[in-house]
Amino acid sequence: MYIVIVGGGRVGYYLTKALLDEGHEVVVVEKNAAVCTAINEELGSICVRGDGCEATMLAEIGTGRADMLMAVTGDDEDNLIACQVAKYKFNVRRTIARIRNPKNEALFKKLGVDVAISTTNIILEHIEEEVPTHPLTHLMAIEGERLAVVEVKITPELATVGKPIKQLSVPPEARLILIIGANDKYRMPTPNAALKAGDRIIALTPHEKEAELRIALRGA
Amino acid sequence: MLFASETNMEFHRILVPVAGSPADDEAVRLACRLARKEKGKIWAVYVIAVTRTLPVDAAIESEIKKAEEILDHVETVAEDQDYEMETDLLQSREAGPTIVDEAVERGVDLILMAVTYKQRFGQFSLGNVVPYVLKNAPCSVILYHQHRE
Amino acid sequence: MKVIIVGCGRVGAHLAGLLDAEGHEVTILDNDAYSFRRLSPTFGGTAQLGNGIDQEALKRAGIETADAFVVVTQGDNRNIMAAQIAKYIFNVPRVVCRIYDPLRQELYQALGLESICPTVVFADMLKEKLLGKV
Repeated sequence: MYIVIVGGGRVGYYLTKALLDEGHEVVVVEKNAAVCTAINEELGSICVRGDGCEATMLAEIGTGRADMLMAVTGDDEDNLIACQVAKYKFNVRRTIARIRNPKNEALFKKLGVDVAISTTNIILEHIEEEVPTHPLTHLMAIEGERLAVVEVKITPELATVGKPIKQLSVPPEARLILIIGANDKYRMPTPNAALKAGDRIIALTPHEKEAELRIALRGA
Repeated sequence: MLFASETNMEFHRILVPVAGSPADDEAVRLACRLARKEKGKIWAVYVIAVTRTLPVDAAIESEIKKAEEILDHVETVAEDQDYEMETDLLQSREAGPTIVDEAVERGVDLILMAVTYKQRFGQFSLGNVVPYVLKNAPCSVILYHQHRE
Repeated sequence: MKVIIVGCGRVGAHLAGLLDAEGHEVTILDNDAYSFRRLSPTFGGTAQLGNGIDQEALKRAGIETADAFVVVTQGDNRNIMAAQIAKYIFNVPRVVCRIYDPLRQELYQALGLESICPTVVFADMLKEKLLGKV
């Protein structure tokens, strides 16, 4: 697929990297010259300096043949306009916008954006792919609350491998939701369920208890 | 002869990126002279830079024809120097990184390229390719800048 | 007529003054209180702090009962987004926005958004003036 990404910040960078790894043709449009240079040095010449909401810029990078445009700048209005220009001027089949303000989700859909993501499964999947060794990954923030759904990986070298959950000092504010084992087989985190190497534990936790949870599940 | 034995300029594998300017001929002749002493190998390479409006593997007939003519021409320049030179036609988004990749792949010890006098916004400009190659080349680089008439 | 103006720059503040002087009910919104210094001392409408692309802020400004909505912030995208919110979410009868980029203006005009492109208008005026047609 040919994918245009508007915005070369952290989200855009990881997204690009993951998409390139999957073998897609990707081009990033970024306003900031220094960010462009950094991306081009890291990922090869795939970043073009310019305004991703400008039709001339989008024409130049061949948006007309793009299968998808993802607008992931930090500003909702820029992401909306980039998607709309792509959709209505270049007939891009699928447009995806990152949104900061969750209230904009319905608005964006009404205004023609195919997918509006506030805390995004798609983007986070890619970020996660980039950091497979990261012990604790955020999957989703619960808006308005100080809670997050996180994933903790159980790697073979941990002292907690083989221990049942009741022996672990999981903070009472956190809740283990599910254990996803190897081959994507999942089981319930009952008190007697033992951790196995390769498990991924999905949990709900307040932000300030994240470190405690990680230590409980992975050892200090 | 300029490159007498007292210099250390000994190159065995030379890459000559060409762009179709008259200065290319001189760059090729110079490469032949530098390589002859060592019976080295020379490759002339032309890179078709495809705009993003087209897929990178698009077959652009006019560009291919032009590139082949340029490569055929520099081949005859080398032949006139009694040198057999290989030519390569590459296609990518940007010439700079492709030239550097090619240099790495071929394990060359010299990139020799002609610079043409260009102005951009009224100022002398080296363009994008030359600075990229200078910055990223895995080997020595010689630029040949032809006197401007 | 009840009018909401988003963006208290020179144009926004001046327009607010003109409409207020003609007896319209004007509310002007800006996300920087310092911008309201541009309003004339005789301005009798409401100046309210708020983000023009935030639906809650627009509701507080009374967008649900507004007859007209004008967006003249510095950002084209912000203007376009605010105008679309007014037109498609709150169904304000008359919505006009400023778009500096001629290409963007052309596109949104075609999509049914009423707008003015100062770039084109002013360049045309300068040309006319230079060529002595005015």
